[in-house]
Amino acid sequence: MNLENGHIRKKLNFSFAFSDVSREIIMKNHNRVKVRIMKKIINVPENYTDDMLSGIYAAHADKVKYVNDDLRCYCIAQKKPGKVAIITGGGTGHLPLFLGYVGENMLDGCAVGSVFQSPSSEQIYNIAKEVEAGAGVLFLYGNYTGDIMNFDMAAEMLEMDGFQTRSIVGADDVLSNKDKKARRGVAGIFFMYKCAGAKAALMGNLDEVLAAASKARDNTRTVGFALTPCIIPELGHSNFTLGENEMAFGMGIHGEPGVWNGPIKTADELAKDAVNEILEDMPVSSGEEVCLLINGLGATSLEELYILSGSVSRLLKDRGIKIYRTFVGEFATSMEMAGASVTICRIADEEMKQLIDMPVHTPFYTQV
Amino acid sequence: MECIRQDQLSELFQGVADIFAEKMDELCAMDAAMGDGDLGITMKKGFAALPKLISECHEENNIGKTLMKTGMKMASTVPSTMGTLMASGIMEGGKAVGAASVIGPKELCAFLTGFAAGIQKRGKCNPGDRTVYDAVSEAAKKAEQVYNENISMKDIMEAAVLGAYQGVEATKNMKPKFGKAAVFSDKAIGVADQGAVAGKYLMEGLLRFFNK
Repeated sequence: MNLENGHIRKKLNFSFAFSDVSREIIMKNHNRVKVRIMKKIINVPENYTDDMLSGIYAAHADKVKYVNDDLRCYCIAQKKPGKVAIITGGGTGHLPLFLGYVGENMLDGCAVGSVFQSPSSEQIYNIAKEVEAGAGVLFLYGNYTGDIMNFDMAAEMLEMDGFQTRSIVGADDVLSNKDKKARRGVAGIFFMYKCAGAKAALMGNLDEVLAAASKARDNTRTVGFALTPCIIPELGHSNFTLGENEMAFGMGIHGEPGVWNGPIKTADELAKDAVNEILEDMPVSSGEEVCLLINGLGATSLEELYILSGSVSRLLKDRGIKIYRTFVGEFATSMEMAGASVTICRIADEEMKQLIDMPVHTPFYTQV
Repeated sequence: MECIRQDQLSELFQGVADIFAEKMDELCAMDAAMGDGDLGITMKKGFAALPKLISECHEENNIGKTLMKTGMKMASTVPSTMGTLMASGIMEGGKAVGAASVIGPKELCAFLTGFAAGIQKRGKCNPGDRTVYDAVSEAAKKAEQVYNENISMKDIMEAAVLGAYQGVEATKNMKPKFGKAAVFSDKAIGVADQGAVAGKYLMEGLLRFFNK
């Protein structure tokens, strides 16, 4: 038995995951706890990540490539000399996070781990060697223990080779921890990517790019919630269950437990709870400007996201808070989890506005 | 002055590979009682790979960089937390040794101190947390204590082993804070920490080179 993130994971051999026999076995063994049976368009579960990557490289060969023979070392096809290289990374299962932000005026490389797992330090190092363009490397990724260990190791190796590096993690998930530094990184990292990416494109130096990312991090908060769990392909069933009228408020993008489970609330109620949590943690005064990001976790319709967005917008308006830009869509998912997150990014100054406004173009995200 | 040449580096770590192969079941059993049972496998797999990785990562006349690159490759071989900590220890140990072409008593001490420091840096653990660090930090401390201009490397290693033994004994009175063991906190008193025991075996493994 493995204890991971508070969930108990039973390791079952799922090489025969799709047969009727196996379904019966699963239902018999789990009839005390109903679990969802996996229904995905995949080949062999073990190849989920690499099959996904092959598809991406085939579809976007002009824009992205991989380093040496490793599909999981994802980077831009053409690097710009003299520009700070920004590298991210993390587990598979969150598209467009993390690799989807590699592209023009955003990021330069992404180390891709298996589903919900950290990439290796060697992969991070190899990408950095490839995309470093004479102005150093900023490592910008989510606040998760495994990722931090591996990115730190890669940074040490790079410094040994004579390269300059800086590191910063996204930690915007308000409900994951009272301690700001210990929070999980979720959809709000989008604003760190935008600001750092734009600053680098404007040929800012390494410390300036880091400062831009820091400013975004300090002014961004997120609250998320889930309605149904997702399924890790190699496991073949969900780790936990949410009942028919049950939701998890504060659940993380790997299914980390939230702050409460309970009956499903309305969009207005969820908006109110989310906005209250965020503004209590990061006060925004009447007259100030923010950006709003409504993020779908993978199985929630755009229609619902706009309903939620409307609710949030009204609440902010009531408080006199001006919404400068609204982003609605999938920015950081959890495979087929149903649910959403609300991110508020306080526009601290004029520079931040300009950085967020910078047009970008990646295979997954375009902003004009 | 006695020293270990760079071409003997793999041989130095072969003793560590050997001891973890011998102790795999013992460490797994200890880990199963208070963890997820894979400690012995991690140590065996990681250190079995080390001698070969050292050759692959060879940087001429630069033992420090060789070990740093080796450590990073080792982390990919055993990417669990313990594997990553061991790899981090090797990396920091290599950094402490620096661009040397031989290992003498001074470099050996530096390696042991760096090894412990690397584990602390990566694992963010402190003495008394009941981890491998409790053994390896004591080993490094004892090695530094006995170091003088005339000491032999065998004597340094024996001091390190002694320190590790003492560190292991001390863990019997500590409650676990980290990792999978943390939920078994009550069962822990009176029993040595399996990570610390692994740290002790690592020192014993290194000592084997000097007993040939």
